[in-house]
Amino acid sequence: MSPTASEAAALAPLRGSSFAPAATVVSGLLASLLLLFLLAPLVGLVGAGGASGVRQLASDAELRGALALTLFTATAATFWAILGGTPLAYILARRRFTGRALVLAILDLPLVVPHPVAGIALLLVLGRASPLGSALLAAGLRLTGSPFGIVCAMLFVSAPLYVGGAREAFARVDRRYEAVARTLGDDAWRAFRRVTLPLSLRGLTAAAIVMWARAVSEFGAIVILTYNPKVASVLSYDRFTSTGLSGALPVAAVLVLLAIVPLAMLRALRRDD
Amino acid sequence: MIAVDGLTVRVGEFALDNVSFTVPNGAYGVVIGPAGAGKTTLLESIAGLLPLRSGRVTLGGADVTRLPPERRPVGLVYQHAYLFPHLTVRENVAYGARSAEDVEEVVDRFGLALVGDRDVTSLSGGERQLVALARALARRPAVLLLDEPFAALDPRSRAAVRREVRTMYFDRGCTVLHVTHDFEEAGLVGDVAILLDKGRLVQSGDPADLFRRPATPYVASFLGAENIYAGTARPIRAVSPDWSDAAQGQYAEHPLAFDTGSLTLYALGDAVPGRAHAILRAEDVMLSREAVASSVRNQFRGRVVEIVSAGALSKVTIDVSGTSIVSAVTTRAVQELGLERGREVVASFKATSVHIC
Repeated sequence: MSPTASEAAALAPLRGSSFAPAATVVSGLLASLLLLFLLAPLVGLVGAGGASGVRQLASDAELRGALALTLFTATAATFWAILGGTPLAYILARRRFTGRALVLAILDLPLVVPHPVAGIALLLVLGRASPLGSALLAAGLRLTGSPFGIVCAMLFVSAPLYVGGAREAFARVDRRYEAVARTLGDDAWRAFRRVTLPLSLRGLTAAAIVMWARAVSEFGAIVILTYNPKVASVLSYDRFTSTGLSGALPVAAVLVLLAIVPLAMLRALRRDD
Repeated sequence: MIAVDGLTVRVGEFALDNVSFTVPNGAYGVVIGPAGAGKTTLLESIAGLLPLRSGRVTLGGADVTRLPPERRPVGLVYQHAYLFPHLTVRENVAYGARSAEDVEEVVDRFGLALVGDRDVTSLSGGERQLVALARALARRPAVLLLDEPFAALDPRSRAAVRREVRTMYFDRGCTVLHVTHDFEEAGLVGDVAILLDKGRLVQSGDPADLFRRPATPYVASFLGAENIYAGTARPIRAVSPDWSDAAQGQYAEHPLAFDTGSLTLYALGDAVPGRAHAILRAEDVMLSREAVASSVRNQFRGRVVEIVSAGALSKVTIDVSGTSIVSAVTTRAVQELGLERGREVVASFKATSVHIC
């Protein structure tokens, strides 16, 4: 894949910047070991279970259902993150206000909290024992054992990734584009729609893909709220605990293959930058 | 007309403080100042892009202080054009236009018809700036705000874009406020000059007046005066024709002697006697091999210590008893006078050329 312009600039070697031969060999070895460590399990997994996983898709209704539920709930969570996160990201990128640091810290929290803890926290606030949970239940939205709970868990742990990415995408658009649009007769909303949004669309799309991919792979928070119906990650865990490695392999391999799709989309977006 | 009254704006740590000036209807105003003076902040405040802490902005006779940018009759062109990269050249020009006729007019005027369908990222710096100008003008603004529109251009493109700006200004008759850090550019294009420094208005008025009669040594230095001397001014009685000639002219003020180092310069001015600065522009200093018989009051014999040539013009530094005098002459004159380091010459300049502040 060809590097982006900024990557190319960073890749251009500076004269006299080479390490000593021994240091080059050692650092090269360490880097290769790390790459191998990251790659080998995934390649092994796909090699061992990829083909059977794809074949199993035709016969295993539970696997198909889990995949469909995963894709649906991840997409729904991403939709809600875009809806609420886009204005938040824009404000964070464009305005300096009291409490901005606090908002940024709040957005970081779900990323550092262990995900089962996130599930427990959601259960506490949105569960049937809480006033909010009771209200939701009365409205027909049950947090436990439902797609709604899965969406909530995915949204909680993954939305900060969208907001962070979107904030960077907006920040990369010089505010003077908007300033020019304003002097050309656009009000703030029209300038956003006609200039800022098109210029940041690629970054926003990349942020949404990252969030979606993270939501697809979520397990810890979901398993606290909703063991059934099962998303793909919970199904792979369930198969592992009930039938062992051989049973979990095809599901896990399909999940890895599924992860390649957003990864490829992201690389394609960045290559066009 | 652009009238700014007591404008105070704060952007982060920077503040534009109590700035007031007026650019008459149809005039070309130039805001000059070093980097960080607040020039762009001033333009953005006039355009309504920044909230004011206090003050008033009047455009074309109407108070627009409370109006949002889209309701102000302004066009804004930044140094880096800020063409919308997702639109073609023609789409950029048409962005804020009120009619297709207006778009066609500026497209024709700026010769953009052939590049109308091009991606703006493929344009040269000069072309980009012309498109930005065309985009602003297609909306027919009464006031055009230009933020260093030539600064990022190579000399050839700069000349071309400057020519277009001047032609457009004369054609459209709109009021222009043009920001620059280049005092030579200010002298070339401006009717009214506004000098800013560190968020404050230092001096405003006729550019020629700013050049000839700077309010402070800082202004003089920023506007490129090479000879700035600290010393003492004292009043004297007029004794030579040089005085009487000048006394009938625009600087009809009292004669002064100005002592600096071992030199005494003669000047005309309204300066209060005492500690002061004398400002003398290099282009007002004439050089000759021998003293000339004329009414020129200031004549000093010295030795050439440095000659710096820049194309057709040269700057010659003369040492007169330990005090330097810089003269700007043509490179041809340097050759004709046979000037070289160590050569003895006479520097002469009129009392009216010496400004005491």
